[in-house]
Amino acid sequence: MNDLLFWIGGLGLALIAEALLARHELLAYGAGWRASATKLPEGVPYARGADPDRPPDAYLVYLDGIGKFRFRDSRDGGRLVRALLDRAPELRVLGQVQPYSPLAEPLAGRPVWAWVRRRVGLPLFLHNVMQTFVAADHRYRPLYSRAVGSQIAAQLRLAGHRPGSGVPVVLLSYSGGAQVAIGAVGELDARLHAPLLLITLGGFHNGTGDLGRAQHLYRLTSARDRIERVGTWIFPQRWPLYRGSGWNRARRAGKITVHRLDPATHVGPRGYISPKTRLPDGRTHLDRTADTVVALIRARYSTSTATDPLP
Amino acid sequence: MSPVVVLLLVAGLSEAAGRVLPLAARRPGAPRGYVAGLLLLGAFVDGAVFALWPLTAWTLAELVAADPPPGTGLAWTPGLAAPLALSAVLAFPLLGPLFHLLLLIGVGAGLAEPLAAAAGIGWWTAAGCVALAGVGLGAAVEAVRRLVMAISAIGAPRPAA
Repeated sequence: MNDLLFWIGGLGLALIAEALLARHELLAYGAGWRASATKLPEGVPYARGADPDRPPDAYLVYLDGIGKFRFRDSRDGGRLVRALLDRAPELRVLGQVQPYSPLAEPLAGRPVWAWVRRRVGLPLFLHNVMQTFVAADHRYRPLYSRAVGSQIAAQLRLAGHRPGSGVPVVLLSYSGGAQVAIGAVGELDARLHAPLLLITLGGFHNGTGDLGRAQHLYRLTSARDRIERVGTWIFPQRWPLYRGSGWNRARRAGKITVHRLDPATHVGPRGYISPKTRLPDGRTHLDRTADTVVALIRARYSTSTATDPLP
Repeated sequence: MSPVVVLLLVAGLSEAAGRVLPLAARRPGAPRGYVAGLLLLGAFVDGAVFALWPLTAWTLAELVAADPPPGTGLAWTPGLAAPLALSAVLAFPLLGPLFHLLLLIGVGAGLAEPLAAAAGIGWWTAAGCVALAGVGLGAAVEAVRRLVMAISAIGAPRPAA
């Protein structure tokens, strides 16, 4: 019993410490104590894909799930971004955005986290979970959304996007990245003056955010995605009863379309981005997800490639 | 300084941190000195409110008890006050207000038992007195807090767009 209390108490203290650390970054950004980073490490491009000398059909910004620790990779090893680049050479793809850092600093490079991880064994993803909570909290949300929206806009500018050029921007978000993507819509609309399209993959978000300023939101989901379902249960703004929420207003305005990716799960070997599990048609889950994303974008914005039917 | 006073000061600082941190996040551009000042002021105010909680609950209990004993039979002990040091949980993202409420309910339940024994009233009546005292003090300090914020907001620089 004492051991159990010790572990519960220890975990509780770790969570509180983590929550304070996670929010401190937002305060440092908001108070202007530290500036948001825009420069990428050597060898990391601002975008990949379409030729930078001419405008692409669209810019695709990938906002990863809580496994995002570095500029380059993610928990899936960057496979989804790679699959999208292979299928849609007409897009310019940005995979370096840090959805869980208002200061645009990847977690893996911070000395304090390396120290904590070595000594306490605290999993790094806990930090990103907490940042998702910060992004969803009404007290911190406006500042957090502004911070990440600014970060995305800055990275797009460095990747060649010109505000007012009319080149569309697609935010593809996975899991907790959806909270950040939906929150950033207002800031991006104000800064980019470009058509905005959102695609959520197993999106975990609280149903706030001004989707009226986006053209459309495609929700890729599955009946076996328990994590996304938890989000629809725990956030009242996602309930149909909460008619005034951003999510429900967008739904009534016909701005949300659901695409089922059954029987994929949220994560794991049967997850949306699994390269192992195959469907009856021979494609992997990763193939199908990438095909669907590309088809949705082409259906709206393609000027150079024949539009494929939605898989 | 007695351990209870130290604990109440720590609790006040913790409560103030829980309230000031979200506030600072909503007022971008606040200098560190301003945030630290708010934190210290809040620590004394919230510490005083915590200190007044048993006294107010005892006063209410005297009103409802048939034959109240003289003096104040309810005071903080280190054991009762210690959980209040976790009040900063209020700033915890998303779940903070719920955790904070649970913490105060737990501490209030701890106060109800000695109050019931000292005042000779039932546990539920004592719990009602503790709850009423807590809500009343909380509402009073919140009103003062909002007034101070409204006054300090006048002439404050608008956040950058």
